[in-house]
Amino acid sequence: MLRASGADFVARFSDMRRVRSMRRQLPGYDPEIQRKMIDSGWFGLLVPEAFGGFGGSFADMAGLVEELGRGLVAEPLVASAVLVARTLAHCSESELTREQLAYLIRGDTALALAWQGPAGGLAFTEANVIAQMRNGAVVLDGAAYLVAGAGCAAAFIVFAQSDKGRGIYLVEKNQPGLAVTHEWRVDGTPMTSLALTAVELPSNCRLACGEQVTLALSRAVDETLVIVAAELLGVMTAAFELTLGYLRTRVQFGKPIGSFQALQHRMVDQYVQLRLASASIDDAVQVLDTHPSIEGDIRQRQLAASRVKARCSDAALKITREAIQLHGAMGFTDECDAGLYLKRALALSAWLGNASQHKRRYAALSYDLSVPGMGPCEATNRAALP
Amino acid sequence: MKKNWNDLPESEFRENVRQFILEYCPPNLRFPKRRLRWKEVKDWYFTLASAGLLAPTWPITFGGMGLSPSKTLAYLETMEVNGAPRLPDQGIINLGPLLIKHGNDEQRRRYLPRILSGEHIWCQGYSEPNAGSDLASLKTSAVLDGDDYVVNGQKIWTTWAHDATHMFALVRTDTSVTKQAGLSFLLIHLNQPGINVRPIETITGHPEFCEVFFDNARSHRSNLVGEVNGGWKIAKALLGFERIWAGSPRQAVSILAQLEHFARRSEKLEDASWRDRLVQLRLDVADLEALYGNFAETVRRGETLGPDVSILKLWATETCQRMCELMVDICCEIAPIQADVSRSSGVLPNDSSPIDAMTPFLDSRSFTIYGGSSEIQRNIVSKQVLGLPS
Repeated sequence: MLRASGADFVARFSDMRRVRSMRRQLPGYDPEIQRKMIDSGWFGLLVPEAFGGFGGSFADMAGLVEELGRGLVAEPLVASAVLVARTLAHCSESELTREQLAYLIRGDTALALAWQGPAGGLAFTEANVIAQMRNGAVVLDGAAYLVAGAGCAAAFIVFAQSDKGRGIYLVEKNQPGLAVTHEWRVDGTPMTSLALTAVELPSNCRLACGEQVTLALSRAVDETLVIVAAELLGVMTAAFELTLGYLRTRVQFGKPIGSFQALQHRMVDQYVQLRLASASIDDAVQVLDTHPSIEGDIRQRQLAASRVKARCSDAALKITREAIQLHGAMGFTDECDAGLYLKRALALSAWLGNASQHKRRYAALSYDLSVPGMGPCEATNRAALP
Repeated sequence: MKKNWNDLPESEFRENVRQFILEYCPPNLRFPKRRLRWKEVKDWYFTLASAGLLAPTWPITFGGMGLSPSKTLAYLETMEVNGAPRLPDQGIINLGPLLIKHGNDEQRRRYLPRILSGEHIWCQGYSEPNAGSDLASLKTSAVLDGDDYVVNGQKIWTTWAHDATHMFALVRTDTSVTKQAGLSFLLIHLNQPGINVRPIETITGHPEFCEVFFDNARSHRSNLVGEVNGGWKIAKALLGFERIWAGSPRQAVSILAQLEHFARRSEKLEDASWRDRLVQLRLDVADLEALYGNFAETVRRGETLGPDVSILKLWATETCQRMCELMVDICCEIAPIQADVSRSSGVLPNDSSPIDAMTPFLDSRSFTIYGGSSEIQRNIVSKQVLGLPS
C-alpha cells in the first residue's frame, strides 16, 4: 500500500532532472516536495499513535523508502522520520519531547540529530559535547559531525554528556555560540557539522537524560540502518534495471551486447545479490517489528541491523559500479544516470557505518570475543529452521 | 505406524520424525563423512520402509506418506539436520513419482513395491561422455528388435550405479530427428551380460559414480515409460522439487559449523583478517537461509517455483565452496593431510578428531558442476528471469 504511494510519489513529483538540479545547493532538497511527504503523513509513520503518529510498521516504512530510493529522492525522510523521530519516541517521557514530536510530524520544525564524532562510528557511550550547569542554565561545549538531513534544519537535537549522564538537548540554529557548517557528499547532498562554544540554554531544553538516552539512540540507529538498507535496495534495483535495459538495446558487433554470455553472467551475479539484499531486509524488519522495545534482545537487533546494512551496502556498490562499467564510456559521463546511482550508493553505504564496519560489529557480536575461551558457536541467526 | 502425516502441525511432524531417527537410526550411521554404500545403509532403509517412512512424496495408496510439498521439505530438512544418512534414493525421489504420474498400471505394479522393499535399487542414466550440459544431444540408442529394445552406448557420472540393480535412462529411439525430439524414457535392469558397470574414482578418493557400457543390452518394450520419443518431457517433469532442494541451506549451515570449529581449534578467531573472512561467510549463510525461506514459502503456499530458483543453487553451492576454501586456508600447513575416507565415522561437527580440510574441499568442487552447472544456472537466469537476448 505504502510502497505504491512511494512509487506514485516519485512518478508525480520527482525525476532525474530534479535530482540533478538540487545537487550541491542548500538545502539539498525541495521543502515544497518535503511538505507533500509531510502531508501524506510519512513523517509520523513510525511515531506511535499515542504521540500523534500513525504507528506504522518497519515493513511499511521499508517498502516506502525503497521506492523513494529508486527515484533517488533526496528529501531527508529517513533522517527525520526515522533517526530523529524514533530517538524522540524512545525518550518520550518529557512534555518537551512529545511537543517536538508533534512539530516534526506536522512539519512545523525541521529537526536533525547531532551525535557523532569526527570519524563517525557507533559508540553510543561517548559524546563529543559536554553539558554543564552554570547559573541555572545549561551550557554546551563541543562538536558534532556527520549530521544528516540538516540542509535547512531549524533546530538540532544534540547528544551531550553531563555529570548526570548522557542527555539530548534541543538547540535552535540561531543560538549564539552555535556554528553550523555544511560540506557536500559525492551525491550532492549536505553533511553538516556543529561547533558549540558556550551555547547557553534554559535548563528545560533538555529533552531526556540518563541510561535511557543511550538505549534510545542505539535502537534508533539500528532502526535507521535497516531503513537505509531498504533505500539502498531501491537504488541498486533501479541501477540494475537501467543496466539491463541498456544491455538489451545497445548493439555492437552486430548484436545486442546483452547476448554476450560474459555480461549475462555478471548480471546474474548482481541479481543474486539483489535477492539476498531483499531477503535480508525482510528478516531485519521482522526483527524490528516483532521486538519493539528498546531494551529487549539488543544483541539480536544489532546483528540484524549490521547484517542487512553490510549486505545492502556491498550489493549496492557492486551493482552501481557494474552499472558504470557495463554502460561503457557513456557510464562515465555525468549525463548518464548510472553515475547518480553510484553516488547515492556511496553516500548511503557509508552513513552510520559501512559494510566493513558492520561486519566487524557482526563478528564481535557473533564470536563473543571478550570472553576468554570464547562463547558457544551459533551458526546462524535464523531460528525458524530446525 | 500408519498416520495421517499431513494433518499434524508442522512442528509436531518434525518432532515425530526426529524422535524416530534418534530411536532407530544407528548412531554410527549418523552424520557420515561420505555417502554410505547399500550394504552399510540397508538396515536403516528397511527400518524406514516398515515404519512407512520411506517415501515422503508418494500417495498413501502406493505405500508412501502422501506428504504435501511443504511437509516434504520439513521431512527432508529434519532428516538432514539430525544426520540421517542419505539412502540410495533415486527410486524413492525420482522414479517412483515419475511412474505414479506417467507410468502405466503394469509398470507401477511391477516396480513400486520393489522400490519400497529395497529389492530394486535404481540409478539415473542421463549424462554421456559427449552429453553433459548439452544433455539433449545424447546418443545411447534403443532399437526395437521383436519385443525388446536393444540398447547400445554409454552413460557416465551415473551415481551409485555400482550398488544399483536397475537404471532409468534417457535413450535415443529416433535418429531421424535431433535433440530432445527423439528421446525415450526406458527402464533397464543392469544385471545382464550386455551391461558393464565401471566405478570412477573421484578426486575425493572414493568412487561415487560410474560409467555404464551398453553392448546390445536388452529391455522389454513394456519398460518404456510414457510415449515413444516423449522421454524428454517426462524427465523434466520432476525438476521442480529437486531445484529447491539443491539450494537448501542445510549443507551450508553444517559446513559453516565445521569451519567455525576449525577456526576455534586453530585459534584463528583472534586474528582480524581471518575473522573478517569468516564473518563474511557467516553473513552469506544467514542470507542464504533468508532467500531459501522465501522459496520455501512459495512451496508452502502450493505455488510453482519459477526459474529464479536457480539462484538458490548458485548461492548455496558457491558459498559452500568459499567456506571449504577458507577451511583449507585456516589449516595452513597441516591442510593437505587428509583423513582416511574409507572409514565413515558417525561424528558430529564439534568433535576432537583430526582436522580434515581436504575431504570437504574436494567434495565441494562437484557442487557447482552437478545438477546443472553454475554456468548453466546463470544461463537459465539470464534468459528466463532477466530476459536477456540469445
